[in-house]
Amino acid sequence: MMTAVRDNLPVLVVVAPLCVAFVLPTLVRRLRLVESLVIAITVIGLLGAGYLASRVYPGGGTALVYSVGGWPAPWGIELIAGSAGTLVLLMVAMVVLPAALFSAGSLTREVGGSSRAVWFYTLFLLLNGALAGMAVTNDMFNVFVLVEVATLSCCGMVAARGHSRAAEAALTYLILASLGSALVLGGIGFLYIITGHLNMGFASQELHRIWQDYPRVIWMAASFLLVGFGVKSALFPLHVWLPDAHSYAPSPASAVLSGLAVKGYLICFMKILYNVFGPSLIQEFAMDRIITVLGMLGIIAGSLFAIAQDELKRRLAFSTVAQLGYAFLGMGLINKTALTGSIYYVIGHAVSKASLFLAAGAIIAATGKERISELAGIGRKMPITMAAFTAGSFSLVGIPLFSGFVGKWHLLLGSLEAGNWLAAAVIIAGSVLCGAYLFPILRIAYFEPAPTADGMDPGMPQKLAMVLLAAVVVILGVAPGPFLELAGRAAVDFLAIR
Amino acid sequence: MVLLKKLLINYPYFAAVILFAIGTLIVLTRSNLVKKLIGINIIESAVFLMFVAAGNIRNGVPPILNQGSPDAVYVNPLPSALMLTGIVVSVSVSALALALVFRLYKAYGTLDARRIAEMRTEVRDR
Repeated sequence: MMTAVRDNLPVLVVVAPLCVAFVLPTLVRRLRLVESLVIAITVIGLLGAGYLASRVYPGGGTALVYSVGGWPAPWGIELIAGSAGTLVLLMVAMVVLPAALFSAGSLTREVGGSSRAVWFYTLFLLLNGALAGMAVTNDMFNVFVLVEVATLSCCGMVAARGHSRAAEAALTYLILASLGSALVLGGIGFLYIITGHLNMGFASQELHRIWQDYPRVIWMAASFLLVGFGVKSALFPLHVWLPDAHSYAPSPASAVLSGLAVKGYLICFMKILYNVFGPSLIQEFAMDRIITVLGMLGIIAGSLFAIAQDELKRRLAFSTVAQLGYAFLGMGLINKTALTGSIYYVIGHAVSKASLFLAAGAIIAATGKERISELAGIGRKMPITMAAFTAGSFSLVGIPLFSGFVGKWHLLLGSLEAGNWLAAAVIIAGSVLCGAYLFPILRIAYFEPAPTADGMDPGMPQKLAMVLLAAVVVILGVAPGPFLELAGRAAVDFLAIR
Repeated sequence: MVLLKKLLINYPYFAAVILFAIGTLIVLTRSNLVKKLIGINIIESAVFLMFVAAGNIRNGVPPILNQGSPDAVYVNPLPSALMLTGIVVSVSVSALALALVFRLYKAYGTLDARRIAEMRTEVRDR
């Protein structure tokens, strides 16, 4: 029994949440049971991801390769739990568990009714399964299917609060995201037509053999994939859906959408770019330069938009656009240091932004105030919530000993290594701008005299969720060791293909 | 002339490109939400057509093993199978999108995206 579980773990971490998701609607009247089931499955997910990482981490990092249904690679779907895969699995589990904890008890009020909360949990677990799948899959069509599962569950979660603004945000997101999926599918189609493979490894081999014969098809494929995944992971000029969608969603959903969902698409894009095209073809077809420039624009423009927002969740949502710019920037620089930084930054941002959004959700739930200017004195009324918020802010700004710093440091070194001074300047300017939109919140919360407004820290599970996330933010900053090692190996793996 | 010949031979791909362009135009220029959804469906059909056309081989036979004719050329069944999945996905996207459109119609009494945006800003200004 145990060996069967152990041998099938790469597929179980994907399938288990999906299966449980479809059980939940039968338990509509038993919200407590549903909540404990969801928390249990996310804990199991974390243990599974941890076990896979412990299998991959020691001994030079041999990836676990799993053939779904026993069909070997070119025919069947291949799952690879290598350095990148397990790292992303860990990231997903580390954010999903606190989000589930935070939802317990607080979600019913936010979405209006316990049966709606159960449906929300169904979508939540579907998204969890889809993201876990994106982490490990090595098959391009599988990527498309998982992307669609994630998109549909994200849309449902955005609309979960049920008011018409949320529905409108969800519809805008859905329309742009389906345009994006059509483009992604088209791009995968072009690659399939010229290579005859959907498995990334085989497609890559074939592509490197024949790419000179089909330059135009590859241009089409690359641009379709860039725009498709760009829409989905909010690459700068294509981010228009994100602020509405992420700020009108219920808070645990915002945490998962902003922290994880966009990262899932980003990781898929990174996988297809590096595992299929490979560094040489990325450069040949100018993808590196385009991605770097768009990433830099995203950092600056996203930060400037964020400064202009007065609604707390909207400011955090625009901040996500800026932070994703860093991940894209590192992806475009094509060297080991920058790619390590990019992968590490994705993880650091996932936990930091989740902790920011959960804290924001707790503040809004306790005080009913959504504007930053109204938050005076909240730091003394809700100390634990604001502590989590502060940890997240420090991490995003890039203060040493917080997770964001490690990622940014590597990105900075990587851009200098690539000789790209502009990128280095933009990284530093981005940090300053990030301070300009996050520190005022802290100043208002801690140092402005408190009006008579009420507000207190939320219940036990919510506090535990925020403390957990803040702890991970600090641990990733103080002792990055194994995570950084895994990110470095993932970068080496990505760069290994010619 | 060579170009024209290429287009004629590869007419399914040509049709896919035209469908894709029509769909994109509808999504970008129409403000009626249902029309936007129809546009998305047209774009998706264009991609499906491209895949299915890629699997076809002229004069190919269905890919069922036939001991009688060992030199038969089989069409590639994989793209069609993939597109079945794609169609299922596209149906679920349309269903969710229509549900959201219905929700908006109940709230605003119109299907026009521009009118909805106007009404929303009026509500906010008040």
